[in-house]
Amino acid sequence: MTAARERASALMRLTLVEACEAVRKGEVTAVALTEAALDAFKAGDPTINASNALEPEEALQTAERLDRLRKAGRLLGPLHGVPLAHKDMYYRTGKPSRCGSKIRGTCLPTYTATAIKRLEDAGSITIGSLNMAEFAQNPTGHNAHFGDCHNPWHVDYCTGGSSSGSGAAVAARFIYGALGSDTGGSIRLPATMCGVTGIKGTQTRVSRYGAMPLCFSADNVGPLARTARDCARLLRTIAGHDPADPTSSTEPVPDYEAALDGDVRGMRVGIPTNFFFDGADAEVRAAFDAAMKVLELRGARTVRVEIPHMDAVNAYASIISRVEGATIHAQWMRERPQDYSIHLSGRLYAGYAIPAVHYVEALSRRGPILRALGSEVFGKVDVFATPTIRMKVPTLAATDIDAGAPGAVEAFGAITANTRAINYMGLPSVSVPCGFDSKGLPIGFQIQGRPFAEARVLKVAHAYQQDTDWHKRVPVLPAVTMSEGPPRVEAWP
Amino acid sequence: MSMDIERQFEEQARFWSGIAPPNAVGHNFARELAEAVQGFERARGQLAFEDEPSSFEAALQETKERTP
Repeated sequence: MTAARERASALMRLTLVEACEAVRKGEVTAVALTEAALDAFKAGDPTINASNALEPEEALQTAERLDRLRKAGRLLGPLHGVPLAHKDMYYRTGKPSRCGSKIRGTCLPTYTATAIKRLEDAGSITIGSLNMAEFAQNPTGHNAHFGDCHNPWHVDYCTGGSSSGSGAAVAARFIYGALGSDTGGSIRLPATMCGVTGIKGTQTRVSRYGAMPLCFSADNVGPLARTARDCARLLRTIAGHDPADPTSSTEPVPDYEAALDGDVRGMRVGIPTNFFFDGADAEVRAAFDAAMKVLELRGARTVRVEIPHMDAVNAYASIISRVEGATIHAQWMRERPQDYSIHLSGRLYAGYAIPAVHYVEALSRRGPILRALGSEVFGKVDVFATPTIRMKVPTLAATDIDAGAPGAVEAFGAITANTRAINYMGLPSVSVPCGFDSKGLPIGFQIQGRPFAEARVLKVAHAYQQDTDWHKRVPVLPAVTMSEGPPRVEAWP
Repeated sequence: MSMDIERQFEEQARFWSGIAPPNAVGHNFARELAEAVQGFERARGQLAFEDEPSSFEAALQETKERTP
């Protein structure tokens, strides 16, 4: 490895916050960080397929402008000079937003998503768009149109979805952070399967203006990054009311980073006695139990707690996303169903026969169920924690519905069981790496708090990361021969 | 039961939305919804519709984290 490549690699091992601080202090330039990120993609992405379209010239021009500003003593904000890339469903003026689909392949938005604008206004550099599940509608990372995204810890395994490229790119150290979106777990699933940190805020916490809709009632915009502190900085930047999205909350946005003091003494951490551990893999359960011990050693108190109405939550959550997703896609499903991948058109189809009375029932019960949670759960605990997924990370082959893998349809539901329930409840939830399974794939757990308790769940996640190093581990990517045709994996380390 | 669901879904999707089953996987996902139907059945009688207007957004405010 050349000295220049070694320095670039070292730069990409910084966390997002460390990179921000290095730019602020003048220890590194935005151009150097951007070149390092582009080099990382170039070297590693042929095997991972995390990127969709990179924009090196434009990104470097932006980096040069930001460096000139910094030399003049002006910093745009807390992300000044740091390169990011985002799931290809956030609209940017004049840039293709394919949403992982063939159908949206020619879409050129005429406006920019509020979340992207806020990140760029804070000084970040958008270097391109990232691979994702078609229309954000699978939990595995498969994509029939742009190629499957591969897990950096082992390319035969799922990245999780739908924010597959976001999870993989952050894990592989191609980028410091990325926007994902989460309707049934699409931030937290790739976070846990790729071994990074990801947070969805309270429903309404972040503007969805300029974000491809999947399910109006449960869509959330949020970040994936390496640490809870990184996520805190990104979430604070994008959260808050947006007049362009009247559904976004007017609740004030606190300084999430200020809450990260590592002190969880006396905090009550709920561990559900029902639903969330049904059929859980023994290795996942052991990693989760070990994580709770870490929090206990920090002074937190674990409390067994029953989460009410979980049968109903599980049923209602699946109905809402099916119906709203089907509604959005109805015209295309009539006119060009062959342009969807098999698993997506099949999944959408099921939504067209769900009775409206059941959909309305599912929507109308969200308030009463949340109130029951408020009294029966959050009256006893400050947060509750569960495995993010109950199983070990599955392979791409075992979950490939389009290829006819037996049991793959059922696997889709099983993967999202613990996450989609949280979307129905509308709670903030952060997924944190907490170990590796016997195959070397990551395991994660998720922490939920009351509505608008993002600071608290991040505080717990940060405290956990003070005593563990799972989030610091770096996957070793296989060597690749760059030549004509598809990349060839030389050796798996 | 599963065949009945497939037939019902096919009729409903075509009747209300003019959408035909795109592939066999569509039937598989339709059968998967049997579990959701059972969830609805188990939830009956546990939660009532509220007489007064309310909303999920109001519940977010009512149950939110209070800063000291």
